Amino acid sequence: MHFTIDTNTFINGVQQANKAVSSRTTIPILTGIKIRATATGITLIGSDSDISIETFIPSSDEEHEYITIHEEGEMVLQAKYFAEIVRKMPGDALTLKKEGQMAASIASDNVVFNLNGYDPDNYPRLPQLQEEQVFQLPQYLLKDIISQTVFAVSSQETRPVLTGVNFTITDKELTATATDSHRLAMRTISVEAEEALDIKNVIIPGKSLVELNRILDDREDMVTIVVTSTQVLFKIDHLLFFSRLLDGKFPLTSHMIPTEGKTTVTLSTKALNRSLERAMLLSREVKNNVVHVKSVGTDQLEISSISAEVGKVKETIEATDLNGEELEIAFNGKNISDALKVIDSETISVLFTGAMSPFVIRPMNEKQMIHLFSPVRTS
Amino acid sequence: MEWGTLRAEQPVVTQLLQHAVWRERLPHAYIFEGEDRDEQLGAAFLLARAFLCSNNDPAAKPCNQCSECKRVQSGQHPDIIIIRSDGLSIKKAQVEFLQKEFAYKGMESTRKAYIIEEADKMTTSAANSLLASLEEPEGEALAILETENLHFLLPTIVSRSQVISFRPLSEASRQAHLREKGETEEVAAIKARVGNKPTSLEDGERTNWIVQGRQVVIQLAEEVFQRPLQAKWLLQDKWHTHFNDREGLDTGLDFLLFWYRDVLYTKWGREDLAYPDQLERLKTEALNRSESMLAAQMKAVMEAKRYLAANVNPQLLMERLLLRLQEGSNFASSDWHSL
Repeated sequence: MHFTIDTNTFINGVQQANKAVSSRTTIPILTGIKIRATATGITLIGSDSDISIETFIPSSDEEHEYITIHEEGEMVLQAKYFAEIVRKMPGDALTLKKEGQMAASIASDNVVFNLNGYDPDNYPRLPQLQEEQVFQLPQYLLKDIISQTVFAVSSQETRPVLTGVNFTITDKELTATATDSHRLAMRTISVEAEEALDIKNVIIPGKSLVELNRILDDREDMVTIVVTSTQVLFKIDHLLFFSRLLDGKFPLTSHMIPTEGKTTVTLSTKALNRSLERAMLLSREVKNNVVHVKSVGTDQLEISSISAEVGKVKETIEATDLNGEELEIAFNGKNISDALKVIDSETISVLFTGAMSPFVIRPMNEKQMIHLFSPVRTS
Repeated sequence: MEWGTLRAEQPVVTQLLQHAVWRERLPHAYIFEGEDRDEQLGAAFLLARAFLCSNNDPAAKPCNQCSECKRVQSGQHPDIIIIRSDGLSIKKAQVEFLQKEFAYKGMESTRKAYIIEEADKMTTSAANSLLASLEEPEGEALAILETENLHFLLPTIVSRSQVISFRPLSEASRQAHLREKGETEEVAAIKARVGNKPTSLEDGERTNWIVQGRQVVIQLAEEVFQRPLQAKWLLQDKWHTHFNDREGLDTGLDFLLFWYRDVLYTKWGREDLAYPDQLERLKTEALNRSESMLAAQMKAVMEAKRYLAANVNPQLLMERLLLRLQEGSNFASSDWHSL
């Protein structure tokens, strides 16, 4: 392998791939970045086995020529040193050349580094893409879906499937669901896909999605998503983001969402959130953020919180619309507050089905987002 | 390790594992239990390799040609997780990492293998958190728990796994194994018989200790046979200074026992000796001792071992043993009378 490349372009590529590399890996070779030079360009791969990032630098585009390939080939170099070395190279161009079996020389201007590497044949194989289970959606929407669901995943490993977000597609509708068994966040959206595409039980780890969200931009460009038996791939321009999937069956959630209730309330998102945050000031430490809500008349909610050692708080907020039975319920205020933060609608509607059964929050301007919560039993 | 090498040592185990691979009916979890950790680990890696091997013919697994086999061998396969004790125990964090890995699908294929070395070193909380993953594994997972002490594992873990007991190695094969490792014939012969005693010494030190110890024993046996009255000096001079603690003394008595067994074997013409280089002496002694005499001497050594276990003073114990050994000697009695 032997090529010369524009330094800045290379730095960008290496940094992208390096995002997936972790110093704590199960197998030593994953501390390296895989570099593959072909006639069309350079591919860089980094991975921590949970996520993998592959970037492609084309030899040239309409305006510039970035790379001159002298000889094709592959190698794996220690990411820790390689990324730093590339970043600190003085010249506008740098030359990377394979020396002997696995070592490399990296040269720019008068600087030459010799770096030992790993055998590229030992590098894990990324899944072969069978373009069967494929769909597309704009980047900004994917970003929305992730941030509107991923907060609700479970942080406990006792039920591993709940640490991920479940993606399903039927009739060109994508549904993303996350739950930690106390709350559930669900977002539906239409995507570009084949009519017959039917995807079920694709559970993407929350951690991977958080990582992906950092890479995504608020742009209208399309992201192509490919599902394989073990991994899911997000294709963004020249960048491929792979994530391992969670094994197991995601609980069936569609039947959990109540359609009819006893009390419906419409109120301002911001007002409720601020009120909850005040109420939680007292209950934060002691009682799992328990907040009590009571209906007062037909246009007010009383929100209160009591902590025996610290004190208590009570406030009333305006509800624009309050129908149905009288209401008295207690819940974990933190869960509600988390959900309210990802709702960008001015007003929300809440559907209560009783003091001991789950309730639903929906944004008024968005029919495709649902948040479900189970109440807390208090005596 | 390959199936062939494993079969030579552990035919039953090999049969069992190979059939499971051929029929592609591997259970979720195995426990490999036995004395020789190297062998068990070798078998564990062999099985994991066969499990991940991409060859289509189950009978040919592991093929050692495909990329999976090669990467398992070089320790670079992402879908095989190895947990080793970190110091004295396997910590809960390690098992939690394992659980996370259990929850994910494999990186390359849907198959994942886990090897837990010295599984008896799992702390109770670590073992308990492993339980859930063993109970209902998702997907195609193979866990291999390797241990020397099956009884230190939680019964709930044992009951969820298939236990494979490795037969202890025969002395002959252990000797051959040590020879391969570059030990001399004499050292390999005695090391193969004495096991890993004394455990308090490092490997290099132990070899030296054994070489010196067997010299002392040869001398003592010689004295008892030729000059019974001088044997006591040797006891003071060399025996007690070399075999100076309880475990050392116990090993020394083993050495002595091997000597008398060797004499008996020489009498019968057997060649699997603990002191193969001492054949001449053994032959002379064998000519002059009856089988019953040798039996009595071996019994005396066994008795001394029992006394040692019962905390009898080593000095007294050895002197008594010496007298008992001399009793069986014609020379001793004749010498005694001539004095």
